[in-house]
Amino acid sequence: MSAGLDVTPPVLSVRGLSVRFLMPGGRRVAAVTDARFDVAPGECLALIGESGCGKSVLASALLGLLPGNARTAGSALLGGLDLLTADERTLARTVRGRLIGLVPQSPAAHLTPVRTVRSQLEETVAALTATRGRAALRAAAEAAAERAAFPADHLDRHPHQLSGGLAQRAATALALVGDAPLLLADEPTTGLDRDLVDRTADELRRHVDEPGEGGRGRALLMITHDLAAAERIADRVAVMYAGRIVELADAAAFFGSPGPRHPYSRGLLQALPDRAFTPIPGMPPELGDLPDGCAFAARCDRATDACAAPPPPGTVACHHPHVPEDVRA
Amino acid sequence: MTCDAPAPAAAPERTEWRSHGPRRRSTRALRVRTSAALVAATVLAVLLVPPLVQLDQQAVDLAAKLRPPSWAHPFGTDDVGRDLLLRCVYGLRVSLLVGVAAALTATVVGTAVGAAAGALGGWADRALMRVVDTFSSVPHLLLGIFIVTMFRPGVWPVVISVALTHWLSTARIVRAEVLSLRSRPYIDAAVSGGASRWRVTVRHLLPAVLPQAALAAVLMVPHAMWHESALSFLGLGLPTHTASLGTLIQSARGSLLAGQWWPTLFPGLFLIVPTLAIAGLAGAWRERINPRHRSELML
Amino acid sequence: MLELRSITAGYARNAPVVRDVSLTVAPGESVGLLGPSGCGKSTLARVAALLHRPDSGTLLLDGEPVRRWRHRAPREKRTAFGVVFQQARLSADPRLPLTDLIAEPLRATGRGDEVPGRIAELAPVVGLTSDLLTRRPHEVSDGQLQRACLARALVLRPRLLVCDEMTAMLDASTAAALVAAVEDYRAATGAALLAVGHDRTLLRRWCDRTVAWDSLI
Repeated sequence: MSAGLDVTPPVLSVRGLSVRFLMPGGRRVAAVTDARFDVAPGECLALIGESGCGKSVLASALLGLLPGNARTAGSALLGGLDLLTADERTLARTVRGRLIGLVPQSPAAHLTPVRTVRSQLEETVAALTATRGRAALRAAAEAAAERAAFPADHLDRHPHQLSGGLAQRAATALALVGDAPLLLADEPTTGLDRDLVDRTADELRRHVDEPGEGGRGRALLMITHDLAAAERIADRVAVMYAGRIVELADAAAFFGSPGPRHPYSRGLLQALPDRAFTPIPGMPPELGDLPDGCAFAARCDRATDACAAPPPPGTVACHHPHVPEDVRA
Repeated sequence: MTCDAPAPAAAPERTEWRSHGPRRRSTRALRVRTSAALVAATVLAVLLVPPLVQLDQQAVDLAAKLRPPSWAHPFGTDDVGRDLLLRCVYGLRVSLLVGVAAALTATVVGTAVGAAAGALGGWADRALMRVVDTFSSVPHLLLGIFIVTMFRPGVWPVVISVALTHWLSTARIVRAEVLSLRSRPYIDAAVSGGASRWRVTVRHLLPAVLPQAALAAVLMVPHAMWHESALSFLGLGLPTHTASLGTLIQSARGSLLAGQWWPTLFPGLFLIVPTLAIAGLAGAWRERINPRHRSELML
Repeated sequence: MLELRSITAGYARNAPVVRDVSLTVAPGESVGLLGPSGCGKSTLARVAALLHRPDSGTLLLDGEPVRRWRHRAPREKRTAFGVVFQQARLSADPRLPLTDLIAEPLRATGRGDEVPGRIAELAPVVGLTSDLLTRRPHEVSDGQLQRACLARALVLRPRLLVCDEMTAMLDASTAAALVAAVEDYRAATGAALLAVGHDRTLLRRWCDRTVAWDSLI
């Protein structure tokens, strides 16, 4: 890990972020518990975990899109603004599109089906920037399309006339218009085939590296269950299990050597078809009924009596994490 | 890395929870409550008033004809001195009966035809939908009048007339719903699991469209009430001595021109208020069965 | 046991999605069909499972040509196949609790008396716990629902499993668990497998033989 990155302040700084859902009958569902991470400019943090582990709830909390029965705690600072306490007006006027660009899960559904890509881009440009006048809007929309490598001769097409890859680029172009310092990609590769996943990941990576306003590059928070896409693009990895971030690691170390340190992360990687292809035994616990101690203990081969207590805070939330020595052994 | 610093252990009892989501006050609850109260009042009135008050709605008092509203007759009296409040309650009773009976019949017919067309597909679907198209190409009221005139005046011909002109929309809704469900993978899975066509329809397709069909039925009650009133107003529906909201308004026509407003206004309100209340409740129900609101947990 | 000969199939009359494709699955064999998304491989999987009538071509099941599809296909031919689709949410009747979801094929074929026994056998195989079995689809995660869908596909003991992108929406661990459940079933019964997908690594690891979609055209 390079210490040099610490000089620039993070774009997004999340501390103690928790989300509870109040269910009928007084039940409380702990969807996210005490999440803590930073995303720096020019950095991609991949938040990985299985469906239902709370990672989409985390994204909704950052965008202020939680339903009425949700309660939050903690803070998520984005350029001095706490996303969790900001009111809807602030979120709508200054955050969505301007401070956070959202790359959606299914781009075809994200685009308005009855209008051309050009008209949607022009509308977004007019809404998010100071560009005025027909010719200027047209030029700005074309520039936005070019940034996302969307071919100019496809601008007058409707979303259903686009292939999956082009629809993804159109959605990315929309997300980039506001020149937001933070990009939030929610499962951007679901349902795409391998080649398209690789291309989408590479393009997202390019937007992270490309210097934006202030020449520092964008920050990208990518939420995914696709480990291959995460490996291709991420600088750092946050593994989420049962609502908690159980491991925060450097991507190269996580996917390569010495490998993940939390037993759950190791199990997840070992389940990949190009590795051991063996599943983690058992199933994740209910978010409405979490144990007091480590939530993974019931499935863990390293579990001891100590695991009945909450795991220690830090980058690896585990009582018995793997250490580099026993990885090599 | 900036987040390698040890995180302070969160003290759960000190955690402050903030609520989110829309804070704007919605008039929805008020709307629903008002509608529910009005519907309840309507149902109670038509069920309880006739057996409880034991007054003859047909009691003629020529000495007190066309009296404006007063303590003795809160809604006034009609042109032969009958109490309009009582007539309105009896009229509402008949109109509501016609409305509910017609809506139920229309929904059963519409659901059966729509489900059959959607589930069978092919030529059966085409034939059934041509029948629906043929029926809908004739104006509602005209067809209704045609059916009514084939029978002697009475309640049931009106029910049949209203039902036969109103099942078409339900049939279309149900068919469209069944068609969209039929291409779902879960129907494929049922077919692969050996389910017969009948079982797929009864076990998977119909239960999924029933909430829609029931909603259409409730929304159809006010519609049918208006239809009955229109037929009666034209003198084709119920015999004039049978009080229905339509016949009441029809017989009040003459007095309205003479400046007597109450024989038209009160039956009119009795038609408008309950129908709006039913529509209001149905609207709230539609919001409820919207699948997007089903799960409150966004996982 | 399954032979597709120059199948052409599609949804609109003049625009077939699948054109002149042939594919064979031997008894007990596992075949991976590899192709990009939107290429028509799912349609071919539906044709193979007797769920979609092809416009032309022949399908041989145990050497006998199949002439009827969907409801018209004889029940014992239809139930020779177990199908699992990509999107568990759309593959489950939203009203049925998972137990009924899994038991539905047994009830549909008049074998309702076997329900408790088969459920008790299958739940541990696919890794479902008893408290999950009473829930409805919207109360479980995608991974848990797909486990139930696999159990439903296995409940009639099919001779051939058709898995169309079964693991595409799932995390690595659940994917590996479901593949392991399929392989355990095949090892115990000698059933054949047609796995359709776009993940080369997964299909090569999973199947005896992978066929690229491009090579079939």
